[in-house]
Amino acid sequence: MFKNYLIIAWRNVLKNKGLFSINLVGLALGIASCLIMMLFVVDELSYDSYNKKADQIVTVVFRAKVSGEEIKESSIMAPVGETLKKEFPEILDATRIRNYHTPKIIVDNQSFRKDKFAFVDANFFDVFTLPIIEGDDQNPLKEPNTAVITKAEAKKLFGASSAIGKSFRLDGKEQPFRVTGIIEEVPRNSHFHFDIFASMEGLEEAKSNSWFEGSFYTYLLLRKDTDYRNLETKFPHIIEKYMGANMQHVMGMPYEEFMKENQLGFKIFPLTDIHLRADNAVNDQLEQGGDIKYVYIFSAIALFMLLIACINFMNLSTATASKRAKEVGIRKVLGSNKNQLLYQFLSESFIATLFAMFLAAILVIISLPYYNELSGKELEVDYLGRPFVLISLFLLTLLVSLLAGSYPALFLSSFKPMTALKNKFLTGNQNNGVRSGLVVFQFVISAGLILATLVVNQQMQYIQDKDIGYERDQLLVIREAHLLGKDQEVFKNEMLKNPKVASISQSAFAPAGDSDDSQTMISNDGQFVRRMPVYNIDEHYISTMGMELVAGRNFSREFGADSTNVIINETAAKILGLGNEPLGKRITEGNNTDRTVIGVVKDFHFKSLHQPIDPLFMLYAPYGGLIIKAKSADISELIKDANALWNSFGTDEVFGYSLMDESYKQTYVVERKMGIVLNIFAMLTILVACLGLFGLVTYTSEQRFKEIGIRKVLGSSVFEIVAMLSRDFIKLVMISFFIAFPLGYYLMDKWLEGFAYRIEIRGWIFALTALATLLVAFGTIGWKSFRAATMNPVEALKEE
Amino acid sequence: MIHIQNLKKSFRTEEVETLALNNVNLKVEDGEFAAIMGPSGCGKSTLLNIIGMLDNPTEGSYKFAGHEVGGLKERQRTELRKGNLGFVFQSFNLIDELTVFENVELPLIYLKESKSSRREKVMKVLERMKIAHREKHFPHQLSGGQQQRVAIARAVVTNPKLILADEPTGNLDSKNGIEVMNLLTELNQEGTTIVMVTHSDRDSHYAHRVINLFDGQIVTESQNRAVGAMM
Repeated sequence: MFKNYLIIAWRNVLKNKGLFSINLVGLALGIASCLIMMLFVVDELSYDSYNKKADQIVTVVFRAKVSGEEIKESSIMAPVGETLKKEFPEILDATRIRNYHTPKIIVDNQSFRKDKFAFVDANFFDVFTLPIIEGDDQNPLKEPNTAVITKAEAKKLFGASSAIGKSFRLDGKEQPFRVTGIIEEVPRNSHFHFDIFASMEGLEEAKSNSWFEGSFYTYLLLRKDTDYRNLETKFPHIIEKYMGANMQHVMGMPYEEFMKENQLGFKIFPLTDIHLRADNAVNDQLEQGGDIKYVYIFSAIALFMLLIACINFMNLSTATASKRAKEVGIRKVLGSNKNQLLYQFLSESFIATLFAMFLAAILVIISLPYYNELSGKELEVDYLGRPFVLISLFLLTLLVSLLAGSYPALFLSSFKPMTALKNKFLTGNQNNGVRSGLVVFQFVISAGLILATLVVNQQMQYIQDKDIGYERDQLLVIREAHLLGKDQEVFKNEMLKNPKVASISQSAFAPAGDSDDSQTMISNDGQFVRRMPVYNIDEHYISTMGMELVAGRNFSREFGADSTNVIINETAAKILGLGNEPLGKRITEGNNTDRTVIGVVKDFHFKSLHQPIDPLFMLYAPYGGLIIKAKSADISELIKDANALWNSFGTDEVFGYSLMDESYKQTYVVERKMGIVLNIFAMLTILVACLGLFGLVTYTSEQRFKEIGIRKVLGSSVFEIVAMLSRDFIKLVMISFFIAFPLGYYLMDKWLEGFAYRIEIRGWIFALTALATLLVAFGTIGWKSFRAATMNPVEALKEE
Repeated sequence: MIHIQNLKKSFRTEEVETLALNNVNLKVEDGEFAAIMGPSGCGKSTLLNIIGMLDNPTEGSYKFAGHEVGGLKERQRTELRKGNLGFVFQSFNLIDELTVFENVELPLIYLKESKSSRREKVMKVLERMKIAHREKHFPHQLSGGQQQRVAIARAVVTNPKLILADEPTGNLDSKNGIEVMNLLTELNQEGTTIVMVTHSDRDSHYAHRVINLFDGQIVTESQNRAVGAMM
């Protein structure tokens, strides 16, 4: 019996090659898009789950609101972890990471500077699952000055021979570090990736008792089934006990008084939530995380793509079903019952879906590298080969075939045999309602996605065009110029002679990209007012950066005492309540350093546009890096010159640089990638929706073949026939706007709320969406309708 | 074999109720060859559909081989139809996507016969219908006469007790028409009961009995003395 079904299914495919291909390609595209989205989602959700104790590990972060400033730090004070462990029996262990970024590492007089380095507590490898594959697998970091390194790092530093027992030095530290263990690479889906894990035993700052400063990423291992939310509720008491004691000394006021106006607290994030849900300050994360919002968005798109593809499949199968009516009639006359027919059509749907699934898998394999490149992900095709995924895919096939095949199957098998044989139901309209509903649904999603794409692109354009308070073009940042030591001054002076250079500022503070980072406490009469970021700059900074002084003067070498003066931004003037005449006012920094305001710089964005502009302190302290303004946009020659000059000092330090405009773009890389992905999937969605529409209009024109013939004989024009065939579909597309637009507006407005500086969604965006959708829809329908309208009417009338 | 008493069939649209069959009483004995005649719209096909259990009567009784089938559900009718009834239509109603062999095989598949038994039975009946050499052809590759022979082969492959033919020669030229009628007569002579709806006087002469229907009622019944006069 099944063979018979297969035979007839296959021959039907051959007979309706065109429609079947449309159907299959649509379904395959839908499934492929869904698969890629799901790969993304699964990958995002898998972060840190490689740890065997992932469900027991949490991280403690610091949250505060002090004088209106929100503080969200993920690296916290040194004693917190150990103290919490002592205080709460549900905490089995506490371990810390101190990020040391990329220090200079020296092995046998050879130096390396790209290796990610961290100090970790001795129990680090008991908490995290990073198996020691060579060396001391019990307690490799118990001694000071020991280190566990990755296999690749071992090979890089020490070549092919075993690295165990060998040593390297850290620039600026006397004692060499001895390698005591080797691990594989840290898994890709981890929220940290270090090459070297050094023992914290010898690190002085790790022993600090300060509850007011520190940079330790702190992790707790909880007893199984401990509710971390419950634990979190006990933290305020800890704050009071340990921070309260020193509050007067540090903040200049008693704890109770401080807490009246301000908030301090610790918060817990489960390990597996760090990547997606931890809302830590961007510059205080071990690595830039993902965003659960995008996981939701992409899951929704995946689901929609799949739904649209299924709907198409359902629509077209039902539409073409009428062609199978005679077969159904004959089968019924010959003794087939309803269930057998149901089974027949469902198995056809299953086979088609299976086919589409294979096609989709091929599409995924082909497109994944491109997708990775666009989205910056490293999704791997071999995910698809895992048993769990294979089973899911099989279940998905089953689900899709049921979803897509059930309606046509029920519809077909319910034909009365004689009606079916006489093809009487062909003119029946009972399915038009369902089909129309499905078309509307598809276009709601398509128009919604077009709208979303336009809004995202607009916002990105806004970010690109916005006056950010400085000129980011033609700025070459050599943040590590201090690596030249005493030659830095010579380097700077030589560069100034270069005709391609307009000006140079000596500073390592950049408003976009990697930057030095410094904070200061502002106080008034010995009482803490608020924390404020500080930029250490020289007298050329403001002009080199193209910033504008709105009041007062710049730093100058002519004024000897500029080291005690300060330039502030407009927001600082406002927040510190300096009134209309801030110049000459004195501000106390820390407990006793007085600064005189000599200038006010126009607000510029030194954080992303997601956040409002903070108050800023600019002090005269030229050191660190160099920021070079080039005379022309073609900066590549200048980079070459700078590199050559750098190397001429015979240093073993590698010349490193960044371009300010690139760094600025990089700040919005997540949004940009999201925009690209959204663009692609909006196009795919509309393509799939159009394939469906094309199929439907093909079917309609076939069904109305005779009618068209008669109308033509009676004198109807081609235009009238095209209009007649298109009208109904266009109406449906228009209806979809009424649902898509309010929904799209609501969701995109929510997305825009994440930006402190954003566009408004204006009417023209809706108009453009409507126009684009209508054009594409009409293009699809119009061509087919035109073909139908221009056929020879005799052909149609011969059919009788 | 067929015993119909006071049978009525009406069709209802939104506003009009049409009485297609009105108080029909009919008996067809085992082995009989009966022809139903009458003008278009007189209810011939409706009657044939009810006899063929493709449709239910609105009122009255229909006994098939002693079983009352008038009020059966579709599933029950399907079960009863399988193997007992064969159909031959004016428009052949072969499945275009199946070959000659596969078309004829279909009723046997629904009877869950084994593959070898199916092969044997299909080939036997195709040979008998002189169409075995076309077993791999598709319907559209055959002439009308050949298609109807395939349809008859399909109707008889299960060895049914009753064959219902709805204007079996309606789409055929006279030569092919005669061939088809001869085949039906042969089957009847071997014991199969045949009920045939026809417009053709010539075809009606092959039947033992001609039932004339007019406006949904049987108006006359006549016995044919010279059965097979046209042979």
